[in-house]
Amino acid sequence: MSVSEEELAAYADGELTGPDAERIGAAIAADPALAVRVDAEKRLRALLRGHLDPVLTETMPESLTLTIAAAAAEDTEAGMSDAQSPEPALSEPASPQPARILDFTAARARRQQQARAAARPRFVLPKWWGTGAAIAASLALGLFFGMRTQDTGVRVTSEGALVATGMLSRGLDERLASANESGKMRILTSFRLGDGGYCRVYDAGATSGIACKDQDNWILERTATSDKAQSGEYRQAGSAQQDLMAAAQAMAAGEPLDEAQEQAARAAGWRK
Amino acid sequence: MNASTSNDRFCEELTALLPRLRRFARGLARDAADADDLCQQTVERALKSRQSWQDGTRLDAWVYRIMRNQWIDEIRARTRRAQTFTREEEGTNVGRPGDQDAENLVEIGNVGRALARLPDEQREAVMLVLVEGFAYKEAAEIIGVPQGTLTSRLGRGREALLRELGEIA
Repeated sequence: MSVSEEELAAYADGELTGPDAERIGAAIAADPALAVRVDAEKRLRALLRGHLDPVLTETMPESLTLTIAAAAAEDTEAGMSDAQSPEPALSEPASPQPARILDFTAARARRQQQARAAARPRFVLPKWWGTGAAIAASLALGLFFGMRTQDTGVRVTSEGALVATGMLSRGLDERLASANESGKMRILTSFRLGDGGYCRVYDAGATSGIACKDQDNWILERTATSDKAQSGEYRQAGSAQQDLMAAAQAMAAGEPLDEAQEQAARAAGWRK
Repeated sequence: MNASTSNDRFCEELTALLPRLRRFARGLARDAADADDLCQQTVERALKSRQSWQDGTRLDAWVYRIMRNQWIDEIRARTRRAQTFTREEEGTNVGRPGDQDAENLVEIGNVGRALARLPDEQREAVMLVLVEGFAYKEAAEIIGVPQGTLTSRLGRGREALLRELGEIA
């Protein structure tokens, strides 16, 4: 009995049922040469899976999950009235569509431009942020004078970087800008850098600053202190925080995280 | 069922699908960075068009089709951009000498290279059936060709792979 190449392949692909499957199965059982070919088909499949399956367990780029999380949050708020350019349903005949030209470089540039445009509404202090608190604050960009470490929870690494510890570190891990939680430590906004890393602007009363998540630690990139002795310059209430927000906008590769993105990022441990 | 429940489910199922989408993208695009771009654009396109997905039908086939079309658009654009580029320099890589797992690396490299050398239409057929496990009928619908065309592309792709990987397959 002859078995065609197509039949053998269809058998290996599990496409045959009933009498067809039985017929080919019997032929293979009776002919070692056929069995060798079926085995080769199976090994090919295993080789391909072995080559590509590791992708399944690679770390997922957060942009993917965040994009979906953002859309899910949007749905709940806005309903579904604004969908554009629907994809043709699978059941529709596959008409040769005019090629939609979309090269990746241009698409990426466009995404970045959209992100910048979206950031133009700017990094603004949350509405709840105290407007009346008359703190005279001076901003010490990138410097660190006179901050009492026991209050703020900061240590200096051997390379001279400032690392958040204790309450500050916990607050950066756990608190949300959107939550308006009370307490000494508040998050004013959260954002991402061009390399995907997360940063947060915090206000811990005596000090405020911008902290960015390293592998394991929150590194303080900018700090500001309300200790007026640091500077002869007195500022309006909140100006240190406003300066921090401006610095954050300059550092950020897009708009501030919204509530859903912030929650998703927190759930992922602020890892890029 | 109300709209928001259905959309929640859409987003949940899409999230669950992400690892497989990345695998398919890696097979189509060959390059990890391109594959992740392809994935991102596919997810954005799927979300934008999510109203046209019919609840109760297979989401994976629907999203794979979006990804596959997106990729075709991309390679058309590339072909126009770089008519002179040839793939000849691919395939000259050999395993790094001195590596403990060199033998294994060469083998993985062979599979990747053999897959990469397939014409795009054979590679997508191989990916959908042999790696993603779609039935012929489903794979043909995703690509948008008759089933006979799919099986013929698959057959040629499989034959080329078996020829190339004959020693290890």
